[in-house]
Amino acid sequence: MRNLISLLFVGGLVFLLLVLTLQAPFAEGPMLVGKGILQQGTEETGTANLVTSVVLGYRGYDTLGELSILFTAALALGVVLGRRRPEAPRDLEAGLVLRASSDLLFPLLLVVGLYIILHGHLTPGGGFQGGVILAAAFFLPVLARPSQRISHAGLMALEALAGAAFIIIGLLAMRHGGQFLQPLLDKGQLGSLLSGGTLPLLYIAVGVKVGAELAGLLVRLGDAEADS
Amino acid sequence: MNAVALLVVLPLLAAFLTPSLGRVSGLAAKLLGPAVLLFCLGLVWHYSTGDGLPFSIALGGFLPPLGINLYVDSLALLFAGIVFLLVLLAWPWGDGSREQYALLMLLAGSSAALALSGDLFNIFVFYELGAVASFGLVVSAGTRAAHLATFRYLLISGLGSVLFLLGVAIVYINTGTLNLAHLATLAPQSLNNIQGLVAFVLILLGVGVKAELFLVNSWVPEVYATAPGWVSGLLAGIVSKLAILVLLRLLILVFDFPDAHNLLLLLGVAGFVSGELAAWWARDFRRLLAFSSIGQLGLVFIGFSISGQAGVMAGLAVALHHVLVKPALFYLAESWGGALGRLRGAGGRSPLAAAVFVLFALSLIGVPPLPGFWAKMLVIMGLAGEGGNLQITAIAAVLVVTVVEAAYLLRLVGSFYAGDGPEAVPSKQGPGDISRALLFAVGLLLAMVFVLPLGDWLSSVSGEAMNVPHYVAVVLQRGELQ
Amino acid sequence: MNQLPVEYLFFVGAIGLVGIGVAGMLLCRNLFRVLLALVIAEAGANLLLVLTGYRWDAVAPIVLPGMPAGTTMVDPVPQALVLTAIVIGVGIQAFAVAVLIKIYHGYGSLDRRRLAAMLDRDMNELAGVGPGRSPEAPAGKRPFPPPEQQEGRS
Repeated sequence: MRNLISLLFVGGLVFLLLVLTLQAPFAEGPMLVGKGILQQGTEETGTANLVTSVVLGYRGYDTLGELSILFTAALALGVVLGRRRPEAPRDLEAGLVLRASSDLLFPLLLVVGLYIILHGHLTPGGGFQGGVILAAAFFLPVLARPSQRISHAGLMALEALAGAAFIIIGLLAMRHGGQFLQPLLDKGQLGSLLSGGTLPLLYIAVGVKVGAELAGLLVRLGDAEADS
Repeated sequence: MNAVALLVVLPLLAAFLTPSLGRVSGLAAKLLGPAVLLFCLGLVWHYSTGDGLPFSIALGGFLPPLGINLYVDSLALLFAGIVFLLVLLAWPWGDGSREQYALLMLLAGSSAALALSGDLFNIFVFYELGAVASFGLVVSAGTRAAHLATFRYLLISGLGSVLFLLGVAIVYINTGTLNLAHLATLAPQSLNNIQGLVAFVLILLGVGVKAELFLVNSWVPEVYATAPGWVSGLLAGIVSKLAILVLLRLLILVFDFPDAHNLLLLLGVAGFVSGELAAWWARDFRRLLAFSSIGQLGLVFIGFSISGQAGVMAGLAVALHHVLVKPALFYLAESWGGALGRLRGAGGRSPLAAAVFVLFALSLIGVPPLPGFWAKMLVIMGLAGEGGNLQITAIAAVLVVTVVEAAYLLRLVGSFYAGDGPEAVPSKQGPGDISRALLFAVGLLLAMVFVLPLGDWLSSVSGEAMNVPHYVAVVLQRGELQ
Repeated sequence: MNQLPVEYLFFVGAIGLVGIGVAGMLLCRNLFRVLLALVIAEAGANLLLVLTGYRWDAVAPIVLPGMPAGTTMVDPVPQALVLTAIVIGVGIQAFAVAVLIKIYHGYGSLDRRRLAAMLDRDMNELAGVGPGRSPEAPAGKRPFPPPEQQEGRS
């Protein structure tokens, strides 16, 4: 009975959405805000990648909320899993293939991650994408050699610093008479590495924070497996 | 330069720093939060007494509708002030951990952001932030029941955010904007159709999870029964109220059509009736409070379903009354949580707490001089003013269910003063809990004394909130840097 | 609507994902599968959101050197929104997995109905109320054997 009702609900939802989207002005929608940003975005922010100008400029405040959610999730995860007992058994070391390839991949991932973060305002990518790659770079050695740990306290401090840096860059703009998160510095030549004012700095903070947070989440989850 | 953004940003900054600060000095971590909250309260006071309200600021200097704006009016400042005050009152001085401090600051920051936000997707982001922070606070009870209750809450909330995102997608594809003021100008042409109605239902269900709306409120009794008492008080006092404020803004600005109001009326009546009936059946104090909270929020929705200023005022009155009553009752539940039978004779053992409870119970029922009476009165008068068949039925339902509410609350009050209790005597309230509850009681009595000026003030606040052309003008024309 | 363009398949896919996800959330009994179903539904919602910015014959919203003026670009706003929504989803999912681990430690099961019954019992115990209607009755026979591992072992 319950299943029947559930299926009816899902069927109704899917049907309704299908009908609505077929009626909606697909690919010809008004796009009022989008057009405005496409016209003014490069001048107002100085970034070649307009998605970046939205993520950090027009909707930079959303990004702050998003960073806070990741931080909150990491914090709440720490509350749930608690501290690891020192005597808890560790996983055995991984085989040669994983160890060797993690040694090989670590510097590569680090470089790729940093490249993607630094070029976030020019090419596809940015702090979130690069941060995830950084997190993978630091988690891979943990998988290969479970006896080597990354310090939780260090990760937490890194996160706190990166998050605080994001907010402080925003507050600095207020000190200079602007609004919170208003871009500062010279916008530079469009398409060059040193362009976009403070936006690349914000993306570095985002990248470090996302990297530290995801690495922390993974390491903590790995710990929880180990002591069960 | 305008410092309104600090109301959101400073609590978040404090939250980022608290866990690391706590490793260096526990005392500093404990004091950082209250200091920031006091500063924010001062800022709220500064803006609400100054003139120039309402105004809007464009974050990042990007003018709306391209950028995100914060809209500051008396209503937003009122809710922001309530948030900071309640978090400050709930601050766990004795036994808090630094994670709890940080989570509380995140909750405060996200709630203030919801109160001020003028952008649909921004509301989604900070709504989710508040959700995750409240998961963390509930789970800090540390019991397996709290884990399970949190997970079930998380699933409903996740489903809600999927529905909310679908609603945002429908709104965006039809209008091409997310700014509430911009939407308000476009809604009469582009959203006054089936697309708009479906988007409203999806967003209503999404936000309704936190607002304890009928259909998506199954998490309420489980979470309130397993979370620490002060956390339940915060959830009932802040989180549900902010969800309601968001719904109110959307209803006034974007989805102001009759079908939406009728739907809200139906869901509100269903919530009120089911909540109060479940509370009548409840056998322990916390779940009784949880179900009664569902009922009260149903009444708020009934209020908002009334069109025009009367509806906004009625809904706000019930919501504010609930803010005064429910957190205090959850403070009492810190030591009274448990079977109702254990509370027999509690009036003799802790007379002060029992007296406070009686006061709150009478106000919840709506006994005349108390503020609860005026709040219910506004709802019923508003419904009568509408005069449709649906509204008359709703009045009958509200009156009948109020009798049920009176029955279970008075039954409990009666047992307080009935002879000796069983051996399992609940401990007396800690001095912290009882004095917090007393503060709320004093607030309630003050509201009773000053009910006429309060009514005038509430009427002007809701009139300001209802003024859509002014809202649009403030955001879209005066949105430049100040 | 005489002939539907093939791009509408994207919509069908996105809405299908939402449908599969929501159905999975309502029908699956194992809580981990319910969580996976939630992830699928979120993916569908994100896909639908990013599709709202779609334009015919448009390129990615990145200004490249040598690009002719007036090139049509897709709407950058939904892309930024989806980036935000995905990251929010990841955070919540990681937290949910951690809670699931603790639930499995605490109750020894991930079956939704068994857990619902045990949660009810736990809440009654926490409140000091017996099962059934009578508040004074003893706890009675437990429907499930108590799990070996209890809380307090974090």
